[in-house]
Amino acid sequence: MAARETIICIGCPLGCRVTVAQDKKGRITQIKGAECKQGEKYVLKEFENPVRTLTATVRTGDESYPLLPVRTSIPVPKILLADIMLQTAKARVEPPVKAGDVILKNVLKTGSDLIATSDWSG
Amino acid sequence: MPRRVDVAVIGAGPAGLAAAIAARGQGAERVMIIERAEQLGGLLPQCIHNGFGLVYFEEDMTGPEYEKVFIEKTRDLGVETQLETMVIDMDGKRNITAVSQTHGYMKLKPGAVVLAMGCRERARGALGIPGARPSGILTAGTCQRYVNIEGYMPGDRYVILGSGDIGMIMARRLTLEGARVEAVLEIMPWAGGLIRNEVQCLHDFGIPLLLEHTVSFIHGSNRIEGVTVSKVDRQLRGIPGTQRSFACNCLLLSAGLIPENEISLKAGVELDPMTGGPVVDQHRQTSVPGIFAGGNVVHVHDLVDWVSWEAELAGRSAALFADKGKVKVAGGVKVVPGANIKYVVPQLISGKDDVTLYMRVTQPGQNATVKIGGAMKKKFRFVRPSEMITIDVKGNKLKDAGAGKELVVDCEIKGSG
Amino acid sequence: MSATETEVLIIGAGVLGAAAARELSKYKVDVTVVEKAVDVGWGCTKANVGVVNQGRDTLEFRPEYHRSYLLWRSLKLMGPLCKELEVPFEKVGGWLMAWNMGHKEKLDKCIKRTAGLGLGEDEFHWYEELRETEPHISDKILGGLFDPEIAVVNPVFFTQALMENATANGVKLMLETEVLDIEAGHSMFTVQTSQEEIKARYVINAAGEYIDKIAAMVDADDFVLFPIKGYVGVMDRSSEGLVKSLIAAIEDELGEMNVVVPTVEGNVLFGIQLQINRRGDYSTTEEMATKALQNAQRLVPDISGKDVINAFCGFLMFRNFEIGWHECEVGLSDRVPRFINMTIGYPGVSASTGAAAEVVEVLEKDGLKLEPDPGFEPRREAIPDFSKLSERKQRELVKKDPRYGHVVCRCETVTEGEIVEAIRRGATTLDGVKHRVRAGMGRCQAGFCGPRVTRILARELGIPETDVTKKGPESPQLEYRTKQILEEGGKHA
Repeated sequence: MAARETIICIGCPLGCRVTVAQDKKGRITQIKGAECKQGEKYVLKEFENPVRTLTATVRTGDESYPLLPVRTSIPVPKILLADIMLQTAKARVEPPVKAGDVILKNVLKTGSDLIATSDWSG
Repeated sequence: MPRRVDVAVIGAGPAGLAAAIAARGQGAERVMIIERAEQLGGLLPQCIHNGFGLVYFEEDMTGPEYEKVFIEKTRDLGVETQLETMVIDMDGKRNITAVSQTHGYMKLKPGAVVLAMGCRERARGALGIPGARPSGILTAGTCQRYVNIEGYMPGDRYVILGSGDIGMIMARRLTLEGARVEAVLEIMPWAGGLIRNEVQCLHDFGIPLLLEHTVSFIHGSNRIEGVTVSKVDRQLRGIPGTQRSFACNCLLLSAGLIPENEISLKAGVELDPMTGGPVVDQHRQTSVPGIFAGGNVVHVHDLVDWVSWEAELAGRSAALFADKGKVKVAGGVKVVPGANIKYVVPQLISGKDDVTLYMRVTQPGQNATVKIGGAMKKKFRFVRPSEMITIDVKGNKLKDAGAGKELVVDCEIKGSG
Repeated sequence: MSATETEVLIIGAGVLGAAAARELSKYKVDVTVVEKAVDVGWGCTKANVGVVNQGRDTLEFRPEYHRSYLLWRSLKLMGPLCKELEVPFEKVGGWLMAWNMGHKEKLDKCIKRTAGLGLGEDEFHWYEELRETEPHISDKILGGLFDPEIAVVNPVFFTQALMENATANGVKLMLETEVLDIEAGHSMFTVQTSQEEIKARYVINAAGEYIDKIAAMVDADDFVLFPIKGYVGVMDRSSEGLVKSLIAAIEDELGEMNVVVPTVEGNVLFGIQLQINRRGDYSTTEEMATKALQNAQRLVPDISGKDVINAFCGFLMFRNFEIGWHECEVGLSDRVPRFINMTIGYPGVSASTGAAAEVVEVLEKDGLKLEPDPGFEPRREAIPDFSKLSERKQRELVKKDPRYGHVVCRCETVTEGEIVEAIRRGATTLDGVKHRVRAGMGRCQAGFCGPRVTRILARELGIPETDVTKKGPESPQLEYRTKQILEEGGKHA
């Protein structure tokens, strides 16, 4: 499917507006507006498969420490962020937890684990 | 009898932790951190998002992960920490009075002090927004604490005034948590925070950023029911006929940070009206000998990494001072902000040693050249007020340039922002 | 519904209702106060600038006016009363300024009329002379009259103290109790409220902004009120010392009231920008803010907009806009026996103690037996103000109760001990705490202490944090638990 998109590069304060075009066969036909090669690389990746590190919290059930902060171990597809948030609402953790401990394994089959970013001894 | 320690650090945020660690590393034996909150880390525990440590650790970390490294180090090094302890007075001779529930009244006479109190957010009163005084108006940082630490969502429909980093980060956080963010308003023609936050926090979620807009009226007398927003002219006044309304049950304010210097003033520390923080030399010594400062209490940084770095410098200098005053007075040359430069830190340098200058521009622009007096020039493709500029200057260059008593820093712009 | 029976029912716990309640608590008589809001002093009282004057500063003092008499009577009572109640009361004095010779003539006439009444100095001071005591005032001022008796008080503190002392002496206070209807019976009134039915022999209508509505329920009076909204700006404490005394000026425009006032807390207030307005609308407007600031700068050019940290609006209720200043009524209704109206257009705080004394006289004259209560305790202890205590006193306090060592509000240095004490004395909301011990009133406006005060309120009141409000049931501040919206199906996503 042919597509065309303008993406703002976040590589530096310049914030280049880069236009990427793709033909029906999925080949990139144009990439315009980037001031540097690194920017082009970032924009291409962002065009093909935009991913984000999701940071969130999960509930503990402990009123004095109600939420444990978590993150995805590796970036996940941008379109799945809302769905992963629903998973965080369902999750409950039990102490003790160490930063880096897996809270939800392979969340929504993304290959990314939801891991704790803080210790919680309970 | 007052307790004696080598270095007392006021504040246990990223600046305080880094300063204490550095002071220990420099040989200070008894280092104490005094913190008014219940835990170490300052605002880092509530900053659950990533983007920390990219410069300092060359790693993308969250706030809790970043603080953990520093907190563990203070423990390993035997830094004493006093939590829920408020410094209520300090004089120019470093006599500190603090109170806490657990220890009661405490008198302290440290060999040197590091100010690391950070900054606070501008409140509604200072913004002077017309309307009644309903509930549901809070700063972005307070909301962040409620949502991420205390476990409460103040509302489910938000308007955010100000495009500072915390405001944009909260726009994303609230959206992810199921709330609706109607718009982020920015009175200036450019965003107040980092570009990556503009993209990943606003664009990603289709949240409109309305530049040159402000809240002109708050509706609702008990709970906020909505806001009227207006476009502003060059003088930042509302333009009649441009009003539009948004329904919301929360208004978040993210319209600027102010260094927290009430204790500094009590001790007679001179403040720079442009930064709102103490005037410091290149060792981060303030105008009062033996009182040092680092982090957002000096000037508001854009990245926590710079905060840690600056506070480490302050901590090392404080340790040297406590050790029989072994810190050179940097004095000498005054660094003066010139064309399109809002401020430069440090404000005083020796004029013969290597120094890193931190500055912010007043107006954004392309193809900028920053001139450090006659000593050196540095080109930037783009400068904007929200991103701090860091320039390393060699001592011999300064010496050769014969800076004299004043070193003027200018920023020339070839293209407009 | 259980019914309360009382001899005297006071409607409204503003400064007038509280003053009447406290005065009556000296006697062996059953008194109940009903208040629609969740706290006392939150109506007209909260918007009062806190000046206690004798009335000459508005040029309206005439010995034959009831209002003038009440003001004159009040000031003598107010100082000693504030001492008993440990309410800060400072005689700062006040100037009434003239811009031109026409104004000076008015002042000269006023001096003639009031000479010998003890309403301040009888001598006009020219600008050069008064500049020495008030160096920041405008050089456009011709001169002014000085009244050293003029004082400042925090109207809400004063009202709280009156009510605390009244309840300690047996008065029953019912908050969140709105009067819905009143029926005048032969010997008793039957009052329907949002809580319960109350039977009362006497009713005192001290409903402030809503005095006409209450009177209309029994056809006790035909009040036609003009709700006048007043805007007041608050300056940061760094402005302390900008003016030493109340600075007021004669204005040519009808209804202009231009004052700059120091407060007991060290802030400076300015206003009062007036506007006829719909009742209940307390919103500030840009126009009022701009005009008030300009007017204040006309008097004191050094006032800077940058130092304005807050602003609020409240209502002054006038029966007649043109003669509003000197109008007041404290007395029995002409139509309904045993129904007393207490209305004072301006300024309620100044006239409150005199009005309360008068209410007692009216009741006695009407045949209510008022026997002094030997157990009456006139003193009320203030909540300790940690930040203002000496080091020795601070140490003692922390030793006695370690919670005074826990500073919760960093801007105003307010401790947990003070907050808990405020709650013990009746604060149930964030504003209730703020108006008792100033937590959240400083430069960060509760950014730091808000979550902490919320937690303390929830703990002390035994309620969930989501039930803690800013100023009553309609003003929740935390609507959901985190994840609750997601769980409920992400209705806004």
